[in-house]
Amino acid sequence: MDFKRNIWLQRAYTFVVCVCALLLIGLIVSPLQRKAWGEVRSLQPELNLKEVEGALGQGLVIGLLGGFRTIIADMVFIRANVYWEKKDREKTEALINLTTAIDPRPMFFWLNGSRIMAYDIPIWRIREAGGLDDVPKSVQDEIYQEQAQRGIDFIDRAGKYHPGDYRVPLEKAQIYNNKLKDTEKAAEYFLQAYHSEDGPYYTARIYAELLRQMNRQQEAYDFYRQLYNELPDDPQANKPVVLERIRELEDELNTPAMQRLPAQPGERYLPGYMQEDLPIGVKTPFGDTQVPPGEIYPYPEPAAPAGHSH
Amino acid sequence: MNGICHRILTIGRNTFLDAVRQKFFNALVILSVALIVSSRFFRQFDFGSGELKFIADFGLGAILLFGSILAVVATAQLFYSEIENRTALTILAKPVHRWEFLAGKFLGVFLLLAVFTALMAGILGIMLYWRESSLMDRYGDQFGGQRLVSYAGLAGFAVLQWLKLGVLCAITLFVSSFSNTNLYSVVVSFFVMIICQLQYIARDSWESIGNPALKGLVWGLSLLFPNFQMFNVGDVMLFPHDATEQLSAGTPWMIGGYGVVYIFVFVGLAVFAFRRREI
Repeated sequence: MDFKRNIWLQRAYTFVVCVCALLLIGLIVSPLQRKAWGEVRSLQPELNLKEVEGALGQGLVIGLLGGFRTIIADMVFIRANVYWEKKDREKTEALINLTTAIDPRPMFFWLNGSRIMAYDIPIWRIREAGGLDDVPKSVQDEIYQEQAQRGIDFIDRAGKYHPGDYRVPLEKAQIYNNKLKDTEKAAEYFLQAYHSEDGPYYTARIYAELLRQMNRQQEAYDFYRQLYNELPDDPQANKPVVLERIRELEDELNTPAMQRLPAQPGERYLPGYMQEDLPIGVKTPFGDTQVPPGEIYPYPEPAAPAGHSH
Repeated sequence: MNGICHRILTIGRNTFLDAVRQKFFNALVILSVALIVSSRFFRQFDFGSGELKFIADFGLGAILLFGSILAVVATAQLFYSEIENRTALTILAKPVHRWEFLAGKFLGVFLLLAVFTALMAGILGIMLYWRESSLMDRYGDQFGGQRLVSYAGLAGFAVLQWLKLGVLCAITLFVSSFSNTNLYSVVVSFFVMIICQLQYIARDSWESIGNPALKGLVWGLSLLFPNFQMFNVGDVMLFPHDATEQLSAGTPWMIGGYGVVYIFVFVGLAVFAFRRREI
């Protein structure tokens, strides 16, 4: 067989040489690629191709691979909202999943997506099944449970892209509280939200209130006492509200005077029991000053407390 | 040596001038500029990212998308125009080697891509600077006295994109060196580009595949194609203050080196495949 005359042989030879050369170069640059890619990969959110697969025929791929990730995700989310207006649950849910698959960075998509799944879609499903009046309560509950779980599973996935973000446990807590009526779990996630970086102060108060709902007054009281000590004098921390709850719980628990939180500098009215019930010689933070119940106390400058790192 | 350089530069310069005169290039430039400038108005469709980040994403997307189209289409078109117009025969009849012809062609398109990338990155930089300045005037305290956008990072990223487009141009030249039609080259090159963008999936997953045959195949595929996702470092380079982790100083150089290696490899393979081709 004459190699120079056989064009197919020449082509096969060229093909084999090219493939071998590329494999060889691939092997040679592999350590360099592994090192650089390892670093780059850890810094960029992954494009979730499994979920994008379904939309491959919609002209998204070139745009996505071309780098228009943000704008395409926005457009897909707008489309999801169009279907949301039409109450088309399959398409709405599919497009929400697609949006976060394309661009998982904005928290907006995750929060709204989970709310749509947990709060809106169950209503649509019940309506599809015949309406609130006709669908048996047990079926309705099942639908609510199922959709709430979908919402939780969805927002859970956001945690992978937003580790430590308080909005993830907060959203889960709200779904557990509002839709699943699982106070235990809701309290757990409200507390987690509070302990996350930038977690809002109110989540701690909701946690304690949920403890009260579960008849765990003592636990709530202990938590409020601890919270009161660590809250800063930031108006957003709402220390007076915490103090008010502490007083309520002291009453509910019939806490002995000695064990109650001493009158605080910020309290405008000293509770009467403080003065009357204390044994002679025991000093309150205000010394031996006797303040009749209800009288306005000339409060001193409050000392700067050790604050929660928010 | 001087003669070789002179011949390559002459072919490169002519290729570049040919490309610049083409309506296709001008249309792409106008379209890209319009897109980057209009990013401000597309802002109303944005739901989650910061304004500067949105503009940057939009601009970088325009550079990458239109740059890829330019790299593939211009390379294939300029290569085939020489073949179809028979000017390649005239050039190669002179004391010009085939590899010099290909190197010149590559150089011309690579230069064209440099102009395109620099122009787009410049416009994007101006857009970002203008918007950032007006935001700083209004919300100065939130900026903490420093700019959020790293313009040096933008310049560095533009160079990396240029190299990436250079690899794409070299791939197109390689495909053109053995294919018979312009259209075939363009389509195949776009497919290769998509494979290169998704190569990381093969690279990341081959180790976890149980079937040895499939594992070998995926491993081989991950070696055959360059990883284009590696060049996707715009976010970290442009907004270093936002990133939780920083790109180490050597990584952009590694990525750049990776791009240069593949440019040489694909141009080399194009020369190899073109050596016996009938024109």
